[in-house]
Order: sequence, then structure tokens, then C-alpha cells
Amino acid sequence: MATENPNADGFGEVSRVRGILFEYLSFGASVFGLVALGVLLVYVAIDAFDLANASPEWLLTYFLTLVVPFLAFCLYSANDRDVTRRALVALGGGLVAVAVLFSAIEALLVPIPRLNWQLAYLFVVAAPVTAYLAYVGSRGRLGAVGFGLLGRLVGGVAVGLAVGTLFLVLDALLWFLAYTIGVLPAVGLYALGRVRSSPRARTAAAPVGLVGLTAAVFLRDVVATYPSDLIIYLWTIAIPVAAAGAFLVAGRRGRTAGAVVGGVPLAAATAGGFLAAGAGLPAPTVLLAIVLTGVPTAVYVSRVVDGGEGLAGLGLPLLLAAGAIAGALIVEALGVPAPNPWLDASFLTQAPSRTPEQAGLYPAIVGSVIIIAMVAVLSFALGVGTSVFLEEYTPESGALGTLTRILQVNIANLAAVPSVVYGLLGLGLFANLLGLGIGTAVTAALTLSLLILPITIISAQEAIRSVPDDLRRGSDAMGATRWQTTKNVVLPEAMPGILTGTILALGRAIGETAPLIMIGAATTVFRAPDSLFSRFSAMPMQIYTWAGFPQADFRYGVVAAGVITLLIILVGMNGTAILLRNRAERGS
Amino acid sequence: MSNSTTDDSLITTEVQTDSNDGRAAPAAGTAVAARDLDVFYGDEQAIDDVTMEIPEKRVTALIGPSGCGKSTFLRCINRMNDMIEICRVEGDVEFGGKNVYDDDVDPVALRRKIGMVFQKPNPFPKSIRDNVAYGLKIQDFDGDVDARVEESLKGAALWDEVKDQLDSSGLELSGGQQQRLCIARAIAPDPEVILMDEPTSALDPVAASKIEDLIDDLAEEYTVIIVTHNMQQAARISDRTAVFLTGGELVEYDDTAKIFEDPEEQRVEDYITGKFG
Amino acid sequence: MTDSTESPDLTRRGGLTRLKEGTYGGLFAACAAITLLTTAAIFVTLLSDAVVFFRSIPIAEFLTGTNWSPNPAGGGQAFGIIPLLIGTLTVTITAAFISIPIGTLTAIYLSEYATPNARSILKPLLEILAGIPTVVYGYFALVYVTPALKATLFPEMSTFNALAASIMVGIMTIPMVSSISEDAMSAVPDELRQAGYGLGATKFEVSTGIVVPASISGIASSYILAVSRAIGETMIVVVAMGAQARMPEVQQALFGIPFVNPADVLLQSGMTITVAMVQITGGDLTGGTLPYNSMFALGLALFVVTLVMNVISDIIAQRYREEY
Repeated sequence: MATENPNADGFGEVSRVRGILFEYLSFGASVFGLVALGVLLVYVAIDAFDLANASPEWLLTYFLTLVVPFLAFCLYSANDRDVTRRALVALGGGLVAVAVLFSAIEALLVPIPRLNWQLAYLFVVAAPVTAYLAYVGSRGRLGAVGFGLLGRLVGGVAVGLAVGTLFLVLDALLWFLAYTIGVLPAVGLYALGRVRSSPRARTAAAPVGLVGLTAAVFLRDVVATYPSDLIIYLWTIAIPVAAAGAFLVAGRRGRTAGAVVGGVPLAAATAGGFLAAGAGLPAPTVLLAIVLTGVPTAVYVSRVVDGGEGLAGLGLPLLLAAGAIAGALIVEALGVPAPNPWLDASFLTQAPSRTPEQAGLYPAIVGSVIIIAMVAVLSFALGVGTSVFLEEYTPESGALGTLTRILQVNIANLAAVPSVVYGLLGLGLFANLLGLGIGTAVTAALTLSLLILPITIISAQEAIRSVPDDLRRGSDAMGATRWQTTKNVVLPEAMPGILTGTILALGRAIGETAPLIMIGAATTVFRAPDSLFSRFSAMPMQIYTWAGFPQADFRYGVVAAGVITLLIILVGMNGTAILLRNRAERGS
Repeated sequence: MSNSTTDDSLITTEVQTDSNDGRAAPAAGTAVAARDLDVFYGDEQAIDDVTMEIPEKRVTALIGPSGCGKSTFLRCINRMNDMIEICRVEGDVEFGGKNVYDDDVDPVALRRKIGMVFQKPNPFPKSIRDNVAYGLKIQDFDGDVDARVEESLKGAALWDEVKDQLDSSGLELSGGQQQRLCIARAIAPDPEVILMDEPTSALDPVAASKIEDLIDDLAEEYTVIIVTHNMQQAARISDRTAVFLTGGELVEYDDTAKIFEDPEEQRVEDYITGKFG
Repeated sequence: MTDSTESPDLTRRGGLTRLKEGTYGGLFAACAAITLLTTAAIFVTLLSDAVVFFRSIPIAEFLTGTNWSPNPAGGGQAFGIIPLLIGTLTVTITAAFISIPIGTLTAIYLSEYATPNARSILKPLLEILAGIPTVVYGYFALVYVTPALKATLFPEMSTFNALAASIMVGIMTIPMVSSISEDAMSAVPDELRQAGYGLGATKFEVSTGIVVPASISGIASSYILAVSRAIGETMIVVVAMGAQARMPEVQQALFGIPFVNPADVLLQSGMTITVAMVQITGGDLTGGTLPYNSMFALGLALFVVTLVMNVISDIIAQRYREEY
């Protein structure tokens, strides 16, 4: 570079090759784990749904009846020429590119096991495009309405089934008494206090409820005759839920609308319940699923109709259902060979078995639901209590400040303790020392609650910290006590964040296996647990057990179906958490 | 409503009015009095031996350069400084003849008798109705809440603008409306004194002038103590003015007209004419 | 407005209000106390059974023994932790070979190269890697990764092996390295970068020559956390690595330097501390037996090691937070 005038030829150029290589390398590293996980998920999905045996005709039929109408709906909702053009180019160009590339690799390099170019197209092009279009479509009014309705239908059924499952172990008769003489009078009194703005009635609500609950415990064995389970669920859950829906709508749209919104799902649920009882199905679960799906759906529909925008979006569930039925009819009529998925209705409703074809996940699902419900209650209560204490009740300096710091460091360290050690704690403390029993649902729930408690606390603290101090000072200046400020201002603002964090932590709990092994959870149970102290299994436990079976049908079939079930539940939970957070962010 | 004390020792000299309307002709009682008040943040002194008596049903302005302790003084009156851990208070602040720093005084009970409006509007993320009713709710108010909400919103000159949207969020209002909502919230539990900490500094001039008009009306019923960095504002709306200068020293406290036209202290004159601060 | 003469009542509220305030404060304090109790309970539970164990098996024997067979068929129990340590170290080191370089590069990409849009998509996606249940990773390793490796690179690989398990542990811990390292890199003040560019450095030189050294303590603390997580990982190794506590064969290489063929360790089954604990649960869980107590001794070792690593990582991380 040492010429007489170094700038004579401009400034020269510094080589960027290394830098550009490095940028690509670091980008590659960023996506390496995701790509690896993606490939594995594709394979497990192929195995669970037996897609390797799906004929191209079968795939094409459902692509045309189910996927294409859905994509058209999303594009129509997005109403953006640019997006439409790009989607069509991606779908069409992707088809050619994948077919050519895939054939080339198979011909020139190595055969790729259990994949063909149609499946590769499905996973590499069609699935991402569908996800993207669903995202874009959901931002249009039409799509938002459609997805909102779909979410309520799916969520309602899931919640209904979960609540029905809980009553497998909870004492329905005790609940009946507790509701009738404890919960109902307390709620009624509180509502009366609100309407008449009488603080005395509101203050009396809690003691009245407590007395009622205590009385219920004592009366449980005294009362001789009880109504049937179906009537109990109708009275204690279906009617209150329908009434709440009706009340909500009546306030906005008048009494007739309210009566319709509450009454129609209630009538349908009652009819469904009695029909199911006649057909030998679990009637209470059917009743709960219908009412918990129907009422939120009806409220939502009423709100959409009220707004008057995006009404056509309400047709989305119909569109999908019609697509699925049409697909099934065509496949049937043309005699197209259909795959035989491992993950089907019988897998979800049957007990484990030694023969892979009959193996099911039902008792493990029930076990997981029961444990998670208990963990949710425990870790939420403890997490909120602790984080409120740390954020609202303790000063930052002084002796108490030191205590706060110790608590904080302790919580951070607890979060890093290996889960298998929590299992030992559960075994030594809860199962053996406190005598809650080896491998019982209670022991598992307590152990997992402590395991996720640090995560719950840390996220709840973040949520509470994000409430602006202005609001606290405003409330303090009004003469609110510490608790009044916390209850009226801080917690309502922080609640979406707290719930999001709790749900994410529950996602961690639902997949934990090592602590369950340590506390002696059953590797396989053939009946759903019927009490909190019965031996139980859980989904990850069952997956662990099956993964050790030597038969290929278990390894590549049954376990894959179990993994997909677990992952779908996880995605559902995390999706709910993210939706909640996004809504809260938009709200404020 | 407000309880004036008849404790003779607290009666101030008769207040002269400046350009404000004809109120204050009769002798007014003392709403708040500070005696030998010192405030420290850690080792730093924020208020230096302040003694002053604030007349009731008047607007008293606290002015001075930033960091002079005027906001600190304001926050001593309803003990909001208790929230700051390193803050230490010596001396007395009397409210209705009672030292609010006495051991048997509950700061929460004290704050229920003193309203406060902050620099930045801070309505709660609740409906307009719930915002105004907040103080009533936490005090288990037994009467007609809706009537009181309406009365307070009228008192804050906001009723006509929001009467059709009481159930919409307080955050949907404009900045000036939010501040008036905060004033409505402060007066709903019927306090005796309203503290205002630079209530217009975050607002545009039009919204600020509405608040100024409102403060003038509020003094009919309430004792208003306002911190402001805006000397014109103090001159426009206040009956009495206290000038704090650096170090938390109360340099001069007198009728507003006197302070702005003929201050005793050279330093005050320098400050007011812009030579200092 | 009345001109009443009474003084306002400012005295403390008695009875119900104070009781209510006190009750809530006490409840919250009790919740917080549970977190401290948990730590204490972990210590006491582990220690009490571990002490019983060490009464039968001297600590020295436990720490230096090269044979682990808590439930032998023919008798002759042995509780030597060395083979378990070798298994744990194998997995941890191999996993670190994946998570550390990939995680660091990811952090550099996210902090220095990625557009805000790309970052907002990539960061939550990477968190998914840490959110997949570990039993699922174990299943992947056993059923997909091992056969794939066997078919392509290592035909002599056994069905249960350390390599596939380690790869999955590595992938799982990538987000731990990347997110904490990225936090540290993002905390480097922009002035430092500007100074670098001002001297004519390229983006590559600024990233590797300025940002990385400036955030080195944060990066180091992320490594320690990821390694500590790998040490405590259970399900992946239980499912994919098998449960064979074995000592690798020490060979004599050139000049008589002892040497272990990595393939001997990586392609064969092995046993980590966590696997040993899980294996014992197959027996009696009501307590009182030596294998039962040995679980707690292993748990104590694990707890102490991860706790120490966590504290070290915290101390190092404190330093970078103080720097800026």
C-alpha cells in the first residue's frame, strides 16, 4: 500500500470476505437448532399420522377440500393483492422447486427414508405458507372473527373435557353441597352488595361463604340422598355459566338476547347430557363440554353480530367442517387408500396395552390434567403471594431489604436446581416423611408446584414491576392501604402478565418426567385415577415407558402419537399464553 | 367537609387579595402549618427549617427553582415522603391542629382527608366512573356513589364532556381531560386540602388554562396548595406565594401580589426577574 | 364545607381494617417464606439420607470407587461414583461442544447482525428449543438420531449411546447460552462500537474484536449455566444413553501416555449421575435401604455442584452488569 500518494486510486478496499462468511456462519448457527428440531418434528408427525403410507391422491384430496378453502379464506380476509400474489408464487414455485430438488437428491445422493416429495412439499412449503397466511388473515376483521370463533369452539371443548376429567377425582357430592350452601349464598350476597352499594353485604359475603363451605364438609356424610351427577353438574356449573353469559349479553343487548345466549346452549347441553347418558357415554363430561363451548361461543357471536363487521368470518368453522366431510366422502367414493394414523380417537380414549394397535393414552392424559390443575392452583397462589410480598410489601434497604435480597438470590438458585433433585425432595419429604404416598397425584402435584414456583415468581415479579409507579402513588395519595392499592390497581394491571408467566411455567410442568420417576409415579396404569391418592401416570411418564419398548410399532408409532399429543397440548397452552400477552399489550 | 381549626395561635394575618375574585375578605383559618420542618434524603438536606402557615380556602403557590424542595414540602403534608425509604423528617406539620408526624397518626387516614394531583395525569386503567369512585370505594362509602361521581365530575368541569361515556376507560381521554379526571378523583371523597404538584406542566397551554380556571373555582371549597415552576401561573392563580430557593430554604412567604410586586428579599426579586434559577 | 371546630381524626384505624391489612401482609410473607423453606427442605432431605449412606460407605470410597452396582444380582454392592462422573462429563463436554459455539454465534448474530424484525422472530423461536419436554428429546435421540448416525457415520454405534444423547442435550441448551450472551452483548454501549467503526474496523472486527471481549464475563456466565443445566439433565440421557456404568478402556499410546479412545466412550452406552438415580427408583422407594440412601448422596452431589456453578455464574454476571 505504500505508494507515494496512497489515495491516488481512491481509498482502496478492505476485504469483507471474512465478514460476510462470518455473518452467514452465525446465521446458520442461529437456525441450526431450529432446523434440527423441525426435521425431527416432521418425522415424528409422519410417524404419528402414518403419513408415509398416505397416497398422493389422499393428500391431494384433502389439500383441495381443506387447505385450499382455508387459504382462500385467509387471502380473502387479508384482502391484499400483494400477499395473494406472493402466496401463489410461493405455493406454485415451491411445488416445482421441491419436486425437482427432492428427486435430484434421491437420484444423485441418498434415498431419504419415509419421505416423498409430496410430503416434503407439505412440510417445507404448504405448512409455512398456511401459517403465514393464517397470521396475515387473522389481522383482517373477517379472519379475526373466524379465528376467534374457532378458538372458542376448540378452547371450550378442551376446558369442558378438562373440567369433566377433574370431577373423576373430586367428590361431586361434596361439591354439590359446598356450591349450594357456600358459594351460591356468598356470590349472591356480594352481588346484592354491589347492586345496592351496601358495603355491609359485601363484607358479609366471605364469612357466609366460609360457614357454608365448612357446613358442607360436615353435612357431606349426613345427607342421605343426592341428585344424580348429571343434575349436580347442571345445577352447579351449567346453569351458572349460562346465567353469566346471559347477564353479560343482557347488559348490552337487552333481556331477549341474553335469554337466547344463555338458554340455547343450556338447553343443548341438557339434551346432550341426557342423550349421552342414554347412549352410555360419560354424560357429565358431555354436558360440561357443550355448555362451556356453547356459552362463550354464543356470547362471541352476539358480540360480532352487534358489531356488524366480519359476519362472514363466522362461517370459518363451517367451511373447515364441510371441507373435512367432503374430503372424507371423496376418499370413500373413489376408494383412495387412506393412511391409518396412530394418533386417533381410540388412542386418546383407551388404556395402555401390550399390543400397539390397542394402546391408548387415556389414563395418562387424565393423570396429567389432574396434576396440572392442582399445580396451577398451588403455584399461582404461592407465586402471586410471594411476588406481591417482594415487590409491594418489602422495602429495598434496611434489615427487611436484606431479607428481600436473600429471598431473591434464593429464588434464582432454586430455578437452577435440577428437576431430578426436586424429585428426591418429593420422595423424601412428601411421599415418605409426610406420608402422602409414593406415586400419588398429590405428591406429584406438590413436587411439580415447588419445581415451577421460582419460574412463576420471577415472571409474576416482572409483571408487577411493569405496573407504572404513577398508578401506585395515585392510589396511595387517595388514602388507599397497601392491600387496597395492590388489589385494586397493581394486580388488575399485572394479571395478564402473571397469567402468561404461569401458563408458560405450567407448560414446563406438564412435560417434566424426571421428578415423577423419582417420586415413584406408575410407569403404566390401566385405569384412570379415581382419587387424589390413587396411583397415577402422566403423559410424559407413559412416553418414557413406551420409548423403552423394543417393538418398532411402539417406537415409531405409539410413542410418536404420544409425543404429538403432548406437543399439541403444549402448543395450545403456550399459544393461549401468547394471545393473552398480546391482548394485554394492545389493551394498554 | 373541611374542618377549620379555631386554635388561635394558628390564625394568620389577614390575607389580602390580589387580582383574584372577592373571596378571602374575612379572616381565614389555617389549614396546614409547618413548624421548624427539616427533611433529609440520606445526608442531603432537602427542606431547611421551614415554618409557614397556609390559610384555608385559598390557593397557595410554592415556587422556586428545581431541586429547591418545594415538591418535597408538598409531599410532607400528606406524608407521601414516607414511601421514600431514605427520607427523614424532623419538625411538625400540622393539619387541623394535629401534627401529622405524631406517632398515633395513620398516614392512610391522613391521605383520605387530603387530595393530591400529580404532575403527570395518572388515571387508573379503569372506567371514568370507577376512577372517580375509587376513593369512595376504598373508604366503603355508604351513600349514592353515582350522585357523588356526577357531582365530582361537575366540580372538575368534566361532566359535560364525559357524561355519555362514563363506562369507557379513563385512558381514552385527552391529557387535559385526564388531569381533570384526576382532580375529580381527588375531590370525590370530599377532602379538606388538595395538593397539586405541577399539575399543568405536562399539558398544552389550552388544557393548562382550563385547569387554572378550575383551580380558581376549587378554592371556593377547598384549600389548594400548588407547586409550580411557572411564575406567571403562580401570579395568576394564587392568593399566597411561598418562594423556596436552593437548599430547601423558605426565603419569602407573603401575599402573591406583594411577592411579585415588591419582594422583601433581593434573592427573590432576582429569581422572579429571571436573574437567578 | 362546614366550619366545624373538631380536629380531623387521623389516628390509626383500629380493629377490622388493621386486622385485614395484617392478615394479607402475613399471608404474602408466608408465601415468600415457602421459597426459603423449599431450599432448607432440599438440604435437609438430601443430607439426612446421605448421612445414613455415608455411615455405611465412607466418603473416600464413594468418591474414588470405580464400580457402580447398587443392586447386583449376585451380591457385592459397590458405590463408586467415578464411572458416573465419567458418564456425566462425557455428556456435558460433548453437549458443550455443540451449545457453546452455536449459542455464541447465535448471540453474535442476534445482537450484531440481525434486523430487529429477524430478532423478534428468532428469539422466541429459539426459546422453543428449551421448552420442548426433555423426554421428547430423549425419544428423538433414541429413535431418529441414533439410527441416522448409525446408517451414515458410525456403523458400530450401539443402540444406547452417549453421542446421540449429548447432541440433544447440546441443542436443548443452545438458548441458554444464546439468550444470556446476547443480553451481555446488547449491554455493550454503542459508543464502543462507534469507536471501532471510527478506527476503520469492519463489522466483523467490531463484533469479534470489541463486542465479544467487552461482554466476556456475561458470555462466560452463560457457559457455566448451560453446563450446569447439562449436568442435571436427566430424561434425555435416561432414554437415549442407556444405563451401563462402565469405565472406559485405557490404552497406552505413543511413549506410554495413557489414552482413551473417544469412540469407546461416545458410541457406547454409559451412565450419568442422574441415570443412576433414576435406575434405583426401579427398586424399593419406601426408604431404609442402602441403594435408596445412595440416591440422596448422588442428589446431594448434584445439588452442590449445580448450586456452586450457579453462584459462580451469578458472581461473574454481576461483574458485567457493574461494568456499564
